[in-house]
Amino acid sequence: MTISSSNASTIQRRRFLRGLRRSLLLWLVFLPLALIVVVPILYMFSMAFTLEANQLKFPIEWIPQPVTVSNFIKIFIDPQLPIVRWFTNSLIIASAGTAIIVFLSSLSGYAFARLEFPGKSFLFSLLLFSLMIPAAVTLIPAFLLLRDLKLLNTYHAIWWPAAASVTGIFLMRQHFYSIPTELEEAAIMDGAGRFRIYWQISVPLVRGAMVALFIFAFLGLWNDLFWPLIVLSDRPMLTLPVGLLVIQQGSYIQRGLAFAGAFIASVPVLLFYAFFQRKIIAGITTAGLAGR
Amino acid sequence: MTTASLPAKHPTGNQNRWKTVRKQLPNYLFILPHYFFFAVFLLYPIFRGVQISLFDWKIMLKDQKFIGVANYQALMSDKIFWEVLGNTGQFMVITVIINVIIALFVATGLKHGFFGSDFLRVLFYAPGILSVSVLGIIGIRVWDTQIGIINYFVTTMLGGPRISWLGNPDIVIPALSITTVWWTFGFPMLVFIAGLQNIPEPLYEAAKIDGANPLRTFRHITLPLITPTMLFVVVTQFIAHMQVFAQPYIISGGGPGNASRSATMYLYETAWKFFRFGYASSISVVLALVMIVVTVILFSMMRQRTEY
Repeated sequence: MTISSSNASTIQRRRFLRGLRRSLLLWLVFLPLALIVVVPILYMFSMAFTLEANQLKFPIEWIPQPVTVSNFIKIFIDPQLPIVRWFTNSLIIASAGTAIIVFLSSLSGYAFARLEFPGKSFLFSLLLFSLMIPAAVTLIPAFLLLRDLKLLNTYHAIWWPAAASVTGIFLMRQHFYSIPTELEEAAIMDGAGRFRIYWQISVPLVRGAMVALFIFAFLGLWNDLFWPLIVLSDRPMLTLPVGLLVIQQGSYIQRGLAFAGAFIASVPVLLFYAFFQRKIIAGITTAGLAGR
Repeated sequence: MTTASLPAKHPTGNQNRWKTVRKQLPNYLFILPHYFFFAVFLLYPIFRGVQISLFDWKIMLKDQKFIGVANYQALMSDKIFWEVLGNTGQFMVITVIINVIIALFVATGLKHGFFGSDFLRVLFYAPGILSVSVLGIIGIRVWDTQIGIINYFVTTMLGGPRISWLGNPDIVIPALSITTVWWTFGFPMLVFIAGLQNIPEPLYEAAKIDGANPLRTFRHITLPLITPTMLFVVVTQFIAHMQVFAQPYIISGGGPGNASRSATMYLYETAWKFFRFGYASSISVVLALVMIVVTVILFSMMRQRTEY
């Protein structure tokens, strides 16, 4: 039973070549698509560093001549475009909002997975029912309610409606289900309270799902345009996505500024994405599938 | 079985049941924080929205006038409403179809990992990380007649004339759809990859031994087994794209005329530009009904197809 080493290496080499050929073939198929995905993003970066006077050049000047930061300077010194403030607003709204969503969803998801209480199935079916209703119906009443509560143009106008979202509960419930009950039962024997069991035993076991929900919720809040556009109208209170509309509209039809703004809004999330790509892709798949 | 979380094994008499319920009361504290906001900002607004649609609701008034179904009657004869509903449907159908085809195609290619496949997967999802506002800023310049990226390739590589993509009522919606596909196909792609990886590999090996070509394998193994995933993708895509707002709002302004105005954009303008909240509510209710009916139809259609 001796396979000559030359034979083995031939097999290995053949396998390697087959793999290489497959890779090359698939790259040939996917390269055009990859270019279609990348070119508009690179174009945005390029235009952010192009002089306003050169914005309309055609054929397109892919590499700016000269490379300039004048668009950024113009945005930063314009008191009508408080982009640092918008950035801060976005950051506060997204991070605190995400913390609220993750905490409330995990609490509620835990209860629906592990605890018994009268009316549980009815309360859960109400959550399911709300999934059926498109957001369009709730926009106007929620807006009028926030107006009556004098909460328009505050962070609360975004945080608390976001706290009502239900998708995170389904995700968390599913994951709390999957942990063995024995661990909790042992803790109950030891006389631990329910909240302590949830916090010290169950939550650490579903950390992966919580990270997934965190990413999903953060990106959603950071990028959202529609709801902030409705409830935030004071210029210093805007978030970045709404601010970008202001830069484009009205007296600000300065194309370079719009691209510089888009650059400022996108680079942090793209960098974040590049660093944590594996976690983010896994998180988006996990959280996105929760509604199933 | 001493835990409050588990139902009592032999509930004997009222006293025992009361005891259990009393023990279970603290459990409400777990759902209370979420349920409070859920009730205030989701549940109540659903019913309130239907109620407001029965009023001639104007934001400045103190006492709103009840007008019954008059808003709905006006809506039924509102030509713009039917036009924007048609636009939305057209946009949704084109976007969902292209998205599903591209996502499934890419997922099939990326399923088995090859040199650089992880990189491509990350790259293809990247546009989805961007805000829709950024998409809008890019989209305006991609489709621009004079200096747009697409017309750049049309004129320099194909030697064609400059085409007014967004100015043509027949092309503007497909253009917005393609922009949206660029932005969103990464998510269904990830879902399809996960779905495809759940199909047992021996099935493919058996097909290979039986001499089935890739097309037949796809038709008879992949497609039937991916149907549940497909249902999920189509329904979520349908719900997302029926509510399209920012793409027409930023890129085409709903024009030319009303050619690319979407239902949600019309709703937004009716409420926050013209402050006709009652009428806008009736728009939202009809849009919701249309969406619920189509979702139910989609579910039953797909379920029938899974059951053979």
